Amino acid sequence: MASLFSEEKRIVLLRRIRGFWEEFSHNRIGFVGLLLLLAFIGMAVFAPWLTPYDPIAAPRVADGFAMPGWMTIFPQYSDHPRTMEIFPYWEVGNASDFVEIHAGKEVECSFYMTGETETVEISLITAFNYPYSVPPNRFSFSFEWDVSNLTNVGYSSKMFLTAPNGTSTRVWREAYTDVARSLSVLVESSDYWLVKSLGYSDPKAINLAHLIFADPTQGEYRLKLQASFRPEVGAQIAEAEVSLHAFRIFIPGRVHGILGADFAGSDVFSQLIYGSRISLIIGLMAAGIATSIGILVGLVSGYLGGAVDETLMRLVDILLCLPGLPLLLTLVKLFGKNVFFVVIFIALFGWLGLSRTIRSQVLSLRETAFVECAIASGASRAYIMMKHLLPNIVPIALASLVLSVPGGILAEASLSFLGFGDPRVPTWGKMLNYAFGHGAFEEFAWWWALPPGIAITLVCLAFVFMGFAIDEIVNPRLRRRR
Amino acid sequence: MREYLAKRIIIAFIVLFIVASLNFTMFQVMWAGDPTALILDPEFTYEQRQMLLRQFGLLDPLHVRYIKYVRNMFTWTFGVSFQSRTPVAQELSWRLPNTILLLGTATIGTIILGIAVGVFAGSRRGSTADVFALGVGLFADGVPTFFVQMIFLLFFSYLVFLWFGFQIFPARHMVSTPASTNPIIYMADVAWHLAQPALSLIVAAFGGWALYVRNLMIDSLTQDYIVTARAKGVSERTLLYRHAFRSILPPISTIITLSIPGIVTGAMITEYIFTWPGIGSWYIAALNSNDYPVVQAVLFIYAVLVILCNFIADLLYGVLDPRIRVGVRR
Repeated sequence: MASLFSEEKRIVLLRRIRGFWEEFSHNRIGFVGLLLLLAFIGMAVFAPWLTPYDPIAAPRVADGFAMPGWMTIFPQYSDHPRTMEIFPYWEVGNASDFVEIHAGKEVECSFYMTGETETVEISLITAFNYPYSVPPNRFSFSFEWDVSNLTNVGYSSKMFLTAPNGTSTRVWREAYTDVARSLSVLVESSDYWLVKSLGYSDPKAINLAHLIFADPTQGEYRLKLQASFRPEVGAQIAEAEVSLHAFRIFIPGRVHGILGADFAGSDVFSQLIYGSRISLIIGLMAAGIATSIGILVGLVSGYLGGAVDETLMRLVDILLCLPGLPLLLTLVKLFGKNVFFVVIFIALFGWLGLSRTIRSQVLSLRETAFVECAIASGASRAYIMMKHLLPNIVPIALASLVLSVPGGILAEASLSFLGFGDPRVPTWGKMLNYAFGHGAFEEFAWWWALPPGIAITLVCLAFVFMGFAIDEIVNPRLRRRR
Repeated sequence: MREYLAKRIIIAFIVLFIVASLNFTMFQVMWAGDPTALILDPEFTYEQRQMLLRQFGLLDPLHVRYIKYVRNMFTWTFGVSFQSRTPVAQELSWRLPNTILLLGTATIGTIILGIAVGVFAGSRRGSTADVFALGVGLFADGVPTFFVQMIFLLFFSYLVFLWFGFQIFPARHMVSTPASTNPIIYMADVAWHLAQPALSLIVAAFGGWALYVRNLMIDSLTQDYIVTARAKGVSERTLLYRHAFRSILPPISTIITLSIPGIVTGAMITEYIFTWPGIGSWYIAALNSNDYPVVQAVLFIYAVLVILCNFIADLLYGVLDPRIRVGVRR
């Protein structure tokens, strides 16, 4: 750094920056904008600490369209269930001399019989407590069911769920078989064939969760897993190994987290938090690229003049005649839905106005005494542009940079909203797109449809406020009359 | 004057030609999507696919296609849609009026409301009205139009329906199904469907106008001739409308013409949200289905519109502001 700036220059620069900050911090609207921006930057930087859920994998953490968790302060929602995820501890219900059972979270049973042939039944029992008076909309059990080492024996198994009011429902069944196998079982209450197997003629009209979690919903729900072993007649030795792993009871909540859940039951808050990253990056990058091009074109065009100027300004004229958003959509469609391209394309349309402003500024700067002095002392064009003209247009460029960020953010949001955003990154526009296309309106899921839009508005306002303030400071004509 | 006009027209045509060529390059040279994919059946043979391509004119050499394309664009025929397989011009002829209806209503409403609020605020600098105009102006800069429209939809169509069982404004389309045969009822029905998209566009956009007009008014009200007029004893009312407002008409009219293209292209999203059968929603649908004769046609129309508006703005400025007669340029 020392070689780039002499000591004097550094002091001058520091003094200028300090003076600018002095004025900026006394500008109320600019300060509000800065605070807002800092809040969003904090959100973007600390996203992983603010929310435990990954918005890209979007795990299912609640019921579809689950309401925000704090809605329970209203009496009509106060007893809505929250998400329950239970890994139950199994106990032995029906034991048998022929079966050795290791119960617990993981269950291992080994069946061994010699000489006799009688059907042996064992059962495992577990229970969980459901504390809410409002039933869940669905529930699921998932587990690994592993039968191996079958020798001369067949088996069948069933699972029952018993509600506090005593009704018992068979939620799973494996018919008699003598084939060893290992299954990953997922029992979903909304499963058509499960409901059909319970004897309902029109399973689509039935919500099994509402039927089971009926009055009284609160209390102890018992799960019973029955297995029966039937050795072959006349067999000398019959044995089998059965194990039950990773049993998970999942009851998606109807209220969840800070901002509820979207249609697929994934967390809205985490999507919102992570969305700030992409919006800020896209907005800043597009504005940065656009401003750089604008400065370059304005500088070159204004200082060199002649044919270069004519060519560049006609190019600007032509580009200004291109319809922005439709062309942006087409370009994204042509080059692929990729964040990088989106930034480039937004920037490509963002520099036109600035280049004209800078050019007119340079045209007047060109006639000033210090530039003429530089020319007279034999400075090259590039030197004059870099050392004399550029520092004088930095203030305008700075205001323009800040003021063109919202344009970039809004353009990206529009693209994503229309479904032309990068499908791999979580953005606010994409959230709005999903909310619009997946029933947030029909379900009146305001906690899903409104926050992304509010976030976009606030981020844009932060930049607009700051831009206004900077404009007021660097542009003496706009200075407030006191 | 005539010379200048001729020059402007020639430049406009050159730009139009460049836009058309760009259009061609993008769609016929670089386009990656297969337009036959929509119609194609897995059981089609190679010959059948070739026949389809020939029907679409996609097997011709590039220069033949280019000549055909330019002829199509400048004779306003635009070729045949791959999707509906009807001439693009035919569908355009009923879609374009729909877009014009929606945008005409919205633009006129926005301008009138924006100018009214702006003049009112500008003439009372520092008052509550002024703060309001500043507020809505800044808000309009930050809020995405489609978000305003989503809020409208959410409340006027869905929430009211949830609570009371009817919709204040319909959420979708331009007419009810089945459409009434009675012309008066039909028009009322269209107006009812039009209200929400138009209103939401106005609410989202009028702030920017108000802010702009307010700043112009403040500028104009601090000019010397206003002080002179006031000293002569001109009434405040006459002062405001005859002296101050009059003088800001040229910049306002220019900015109106210059902002029309932005309004039209931006309203694409409005049409998409309310499934308004205009050219914007058509464009998005065509993009998604690789139907590029339609995309080309709409993009071309947009370009024509932008060029036309720039041209009119130039002329208008000269007509309204006698100081800048177009004949003597700078």
